[in-house]
Formats: sequence, structure tokens, C-alpha cells
Amino acid sequence: MKPAKSTKTLRRGLLVTLFWLGIWQAASMLVAKPVLFASPLDTLKALLELIPTGDYWRSVLGSLGRISLGFLLGLLLGLLLGVASFRFRLLRTLLSPLLTLMKTVPVASFIILILVWFGSAWLAVIVALLIVLPQIYFSALSGLESTDRALLEFAKVFRVPGGRTAWGIYRPALMPYLTGSCASALGMSWKAGIAAEVIGTPLRSIGEQMYLSKVYMATAELFAWTMTVILLSTVLEKLLLRLLRSLGT
Amino acid sequence: MMDIQIRNLTQRFGSKTVFRDLSLTLEDGGLYGLTAPSGRGKTTLLRILMGLQKPDGGSVQPAGIRWSAVFQTDRLLPGRSAVEQLLFVRGSRRDRDNACAFLSGLLLENSLHQPVEQLSGGMQRRVAIARALWAESDCVLMDEPFTGLDEATLRQTAQFILTNRQGRTLLLSTHQKELLADYPFRWLSLPEE
Repeated sequence: MKPAKSTKTLRRGLLVTLFWLGIWQAASMLVAKPVLFASPLDTLKALLELIPTGDYWRSVLGSLGRISLGFLLGLLLGLLLGVASFRFRLLRTLLSPLLTLMKTVPVASFIILILVWFGSAWLAVIVALLIVLPQIYFSALSGLESTDRALLEFAKVFRVPGGRTAWGIYRPALMPYLTGSCASALGMSWKAGIAAEVIGTPLRSIGEQMYLSKVYMATAELFAWTMTVILLSTVLEKLLLRLLRSLGT
Repeated sequence: MMDIQIRNLTQRFGSKTVFRDLSLTLEDGGLYGLTAPSGRGKTTLLRILMGLQKPDGGSVQPAGIRWSAVFQTDRLLPGRSAVEQLLFVRGSRRDRDNACAFLSGLLLENSLHQPVEQLSGGMQRRVAIARALWAESDCVLMDEPFTGLDEATLRQTAQFILTNRQGRTLLLSTHQKELLADYPFRWLSLPEE
């Protein structure tokens, strides 16, 4: 009997993971200096040592809270402004240069400016928000603009109430765009948020712990924190995509 | 409802005049068939009546008529079942059984809950027809409603339309006038410009 498709995919995923772990192990053996390049085993050991500590969980929860808050605010604002700009052309013209600027300004410039203006406590929140907002805004606009005009005419003729038209016609057009951009915006918000934390070193943050790992040359710990970020970002992305897909059907 | 007065309607597309000073009266509760060769402006006239297109001249009275329609294309909501197409224009989940009973006059029971993409072209057309009749309206407009239907289905559908128009004014454009000879339509045509 042929193995089921999901078993096959799982097996393939496992083989790919083992392949890259092998490359990682080989590279660390080639460098042969754990202080410069930690091996997978050293990283796992460091992670297992960190997990039972209170500092680990306080830092994880601190970063998770700040970056998630920034992401959610960016998502909400991007969506609201996208819908409003779709509805009011003047607002769209007005916002266009600002949002294009937000999209193109280097993250490092934002980080430094926010540090100067607001200090480090809210740094990751604001950086994540600024990264997410333009992405969601432009994808919301594109999604709404892709709405089938023929269906909108039908709703107009039949006098379908606005809320029902929004849910039944605009939402299905919007969701594929939103789902795609949310996934990439979430990943970007973690990258930028952690980078901001490393620079601003707010208390109880993964960024602060990464900075300390660098100061003490604890490379295995730095790798362990990086693994933590990858894990958090991946799990959150999968949860978010599941939620958005259920909303899209 | 009052009679619908179409007065001196003119429509041009570039240098081409589709119709000029067209005047018609649709009596309240009347059953009308509109027939004319392609390009004579049947769809344009229906779009003007529905308020989707502004004419170059003339008027449609009274204002505020509640229309429901079958468009030239079906315009069904993707991913939704036939029953959900009906509930989208009138009613809520509580009306599901009524919508099912209504649709079963045109479609088989087992096709009512499938996403419309899984239905044949003819079945989708019948869903669009049922939706126009299910909606609350004063007047029903149908643009070539029998496209893609074989003769037997056309007759069954025509009978369904007559049974369910509930005294509303109905204006239907078609190329298949001869197949509707047994039905009490008053035939209108659009003059050549």
C-alpha cells in the first residue's frame, strides 16, 4: 500500500530538516570554534538550560507581548486605513506618500528615531506597527479593488444591505490578499522587532538577551534565542493563517 | 405600484445611437417580452431601468422602483450554494427551509446545497432566475433568462416564472420568442436606428 500523502510530506520534511542540521553540524565542525559558530547540539543544550529559567520566560513573554501588540495594531490600522482609502479617494491621495515612505524607509532609521523620541520601552511595538501597517494597507486596497464589479452591481440592484455586501462580496475578495500579506508581515515584524530590541535593549526582552549573549560571547545561547524566535514566529504564523483562512471561507 | 413610464429615452455610444426617444409604458403587474436583434439595445434598456446606466436623455418614472433581476451573466456568489444565493438577497438562516422548497421547483434536491460552481451552466442560470423571483421587488427584469436551457427545461422554467412572479411586473428579453408563444406575454420590440 502507498503511504498517505501527509505521511509522505512529513517524511520529506523530516529528511530536509536532517539534511540542513547535517550541514549546520558540518559547518560548525569545519569552523571548530564554538565561540564563533555553535553546533546544533550545543544550541540544543543551551536551549534546554534556558527553558527552565524564569528569565527565559519573562523575556519570551515580554517580546511576544510587544511584537504581537505592534503587529495587531498595524493590522488593525492598516485595515481601517485601507478600507477608508478605498471608500474616500481624497484620503487615499493624502495617505499615499506617507505610506510609500513608511514602506521604503530603512528599519534602522525608524529604530534610531523611535529610540530618540520615545526610548526603548515601546520601541519593538512601534517598529512592528510601522513594518506591518503599510503592507496591510496596500494589500487591503488591492484586495478591495479586485472585488467583482458585476457582483457589486447585482447587490446594488437587489438593495442588499451594506453589511451583507461587505461580508458576502468584499470579504471574499479581500481575504486572499490579506492572508498572503499577513504571513509575510508577521515574519517581518518579528525580524524588525527583535532587531529593535537588540539595539534598544529594553528589559525583559529576547533582544536584550541576545545582546547579552553577544557581550559574553555565549554563541550557543545566541543561537538558542534565535531558535526561540524562529519557533515563535512560525507557530504564530501558522495560527494566524488558520484563523484568516477560516474567516475567508 | 404604479405603471412604469419610460419617456423619450435616448442612448448613444460614441457616434452610434442605440435608441432615440424611446417611450414605453409597463402596466402594473404586466407580463412583457422584449425582443429585438442583437445590438439593438435590449441589455442597455434593462440596465437603464435598473439604474446601472444613465441615459443620454429621457426618464423612467416613478423613481424608487424596487427591482430584482436576472443579468446577462449569472452573477452568483462564488463558493456559496443555491440556497445561500437566495438567502443573500432576502431572509436569514431561519428561512432556509422556505428557500429550499422554493428552489426545488426548479432544481433537484441534491443540488441545492452544493457550491454553485459545481452545478451545470443551465442549473446556475435557474438559480439566478429563482433568486430574482425570491427577492422582494416591485418589478422583475430578466435579460435572456433561458440562455443555455434546452426546450423542456425552458418550458418548465417559464412556468416557474409565471407561477412565482406574484403579480409583479415582469419584463423579459429573449431571442426565443417562438418558444414562448403559449405564454401570455405582451411583446415589445426596439426600433432600428
